[in-house]
This record gives sequence, structure tokens and C-alpha cells, in this order.
Amino acid sequence: MRIALFAATLILAPAAALALAVISPGDAARIMHDRHEGMEAIGKATKAASRELQGAAPDVAVVRQSAGIIGGMTRKASGWFLAGTGPNVAKTRAKPEIWQDPKDFTAKLHNFQMAANAFNAAAAGGDVNAMKARFADLGGTCKACHDKYRAPEENH
Amino acid sequence: MTQRVWDLPTRIVHWFLAALIAFSWWSVTYHHTGWHIWSGIAILTLLIFRLLWGLVGSSTARFANFVRGPRAIASFWRGSWRGIGHDPLGALSVLALFGAVAVQVGLGLISQDEDGLYAGPLARLVSSDTSDSARDLHELWFKVILGLVALHIAAILYYRLRGRKLTLPMITGRAAIDPDIQPMRPGKWWIAVICVVVAFGIARWVVAGAPPFGS
Repeated sequence: MRIALFAATLILAPAAALALAVISPGDAARIMHDRHEGMEAIGKATKAASRELQGAAPDVAVVRQSAGIIGGMTRKASGWFLAGTGPNVAKTRAKPEIWQDPKDFTAKLHNFQMAANAFNAAAAGGDVNAMKARFADLGGTCKACHDKYRAPEENH
Repeated sequence: MTQRVWDLPTRIVHWFLAALIAFSWWSVTYHHTGWHIWSGIAILTLLIFRLLWGLVGSSTARFANFVRGPRAIASFWRGSWRGIGHDPLGALSVLALFGAVAVQVGLGLISQDEDGLYAGPLARLVSSDTSDSARDLHELWFKVILGLVALHIAAILYYRLRGRKLTLPMITGRAAIDPDIQPMRPGKWWIAVICVVVAFGIARWVVAGAPPFGS
């Protein structure tokens, strides 16, 4: 009897923890929408910065603007991956693994936020090589998460 | 008694192309986007070489010798074609495959990935939106290439069932040919070397970002 109770507690405790974390359907929809739009904005800004930094004479103003957009978005990103905003709730490329290994995911998200701040700081200066280096670092943090926690684009 | 039918450059292009198409799919599927781009540039180099070799190479590699009109295709269909190298119907398959791969390489050169972390060497010659559309088309076009590859393999299996082995000659370069058919005239090795140098030169120019080396 006591063993059965113990076993039941073992099974039910994580479920209870998840249940506590459940957010309302309205909140989930809003978060997932913000997340999608935010990621789109980051992607657009990254492309703009990348095009400048690959050129012979980068337009530093464009790089600064992009770095500012990415920096602003990363601050919001902490609230984008609450439990209950996964593919079982609505269509999203966020993989369930995010919530299966939250420690790793949170660490990667943190790396991204730090790298975005570093890129923003470099962009505020005038050293194009420093901007390129911090941009490469930032790209690495995007890729670290996307390779592991983002499902492929759906077929067109 | 067998005779030469495919020269070494033609066979190398064939097998490297097959391997690089597979590698391109694998590398991009498993997030090795940098390798994927280099694979595409290697394919570009092969295509340029094959185009040149198709003008000045061995007789069976030359487009002028195997690309034929509808009358030749009809005659082949009736079974009255005799020759060495690509038959008139197979020639269409060759053109379709090289054409589809060329389109795919062209799209890849101007594409950028969805995160803006990787771009083809010519992506900066077009707008960011165009690069994104090119990537979408690049993904879609792969289905066309898969279809042509499937047709290519199906044709080989069909001939195999009818007793003709096509794969072995593409490995050894030799096949049983009727003695009254004019044999392959091999190309000159130093012309092949020139074609290789030109192909690498043009590919290098593309990698640099083309016209005035990017902008």
C-alpha cells in the first residue's frame, strides 16, 4: 500500500508541476503569436545586418538598427517559451524537447541574450571587425537552439 | 569484346554529381549549411566542366553528337537506332538532369537561410526578399530533381530487365558495341586539363561574389 502510494506520488508529482504551469488558452495563443512575430523580426534584422557586414563597406547605421531590434527582442524572449506553448497546443515549430530539457534550453536562451547584448555593444562602437566577430558569435547562439529545438519548415 | 564508350572525365562528372546531390541533401537536412553551400559550388564546377567537355571532349561526351531532334527520337522508339553513347531519348534525360541541376545551383547561389546566418555567394546581388523566395523555390525544385533521378534509375532498371546493363559501362567506361559502329573518338587529355582550369576559375569568381567581386 505504501509502495503503491509512493509510486503514485512519483508519477503524479511531475504531472502536478506541469498542471501548475498551465496557462490559459488565450495567453498561450498570445505568447505563441508574439514569439512568431518576434522571431520573424529577429530574422529580418539578422539578414539586414549580415548583408552589410559581408560587404566591402558596411553601412554601420543599418547594423546598429538591426542590433537594437535584436537586443530589444531578446529581452522579451524570456517570456516566449512558457510551458503550455508547445506543438500540442497549436501549430508551432517549437519542439516538445524544449520543455523536456528546460535547463539546457534556458541556458541556450541565456547565451543568445548575452550574445545579442554583446553585438549591440559592438555595433554602438565603430570597429567593424568587432561587429563581425560579435555577429558571428550571435549567429552561433541562434543555430545552437534552432538545430536542436526547432522543427523543419513545413513543405510548401 | 568490349569497346570504350565513356571517357574518364564523363564518368567522374557522373559519379561526383550523384554523390554531391546526395551530400547536398544530407548536409542541409542535418544543419551543416556551410558544407551544403560548398557542395553546391562543387556541383557548379562540375557543371561548367561538363558543359565545356560537351563542346570539345570525346565524341560520346559532345552534345552535338547525342542531342537529336524528334525524328531521331521517333526512330529510336521504333527500334531502328544504332549507335554509340547516349541514344536520342536518353539525351533528353541528360539535358533535363543537367538543366534541373543548373537551375538548382542558380537558385542556391542567390539564396539565404531563414535565419540570415548563411547566404549563397551571389545573394547580395539581389534583395533580401528575393533571396528568401529563391530559398523557397530551391527547396521546391529539389522535388523536380528527385523526380528526374527516379526516372533515370527507373530507365536503368527497365533496360536491365531487357538484358542491357548500363551501370557497369558508366563505371568501367567500356561496353559491347557492334563492330560496324564508329568507335568513340577520345578527347585530348590537355584539353580536359584546360576545361578543369577554366571551370575552377569561373567557380572561384562566383565564390568571390561575381561581377566586381561583390559590392
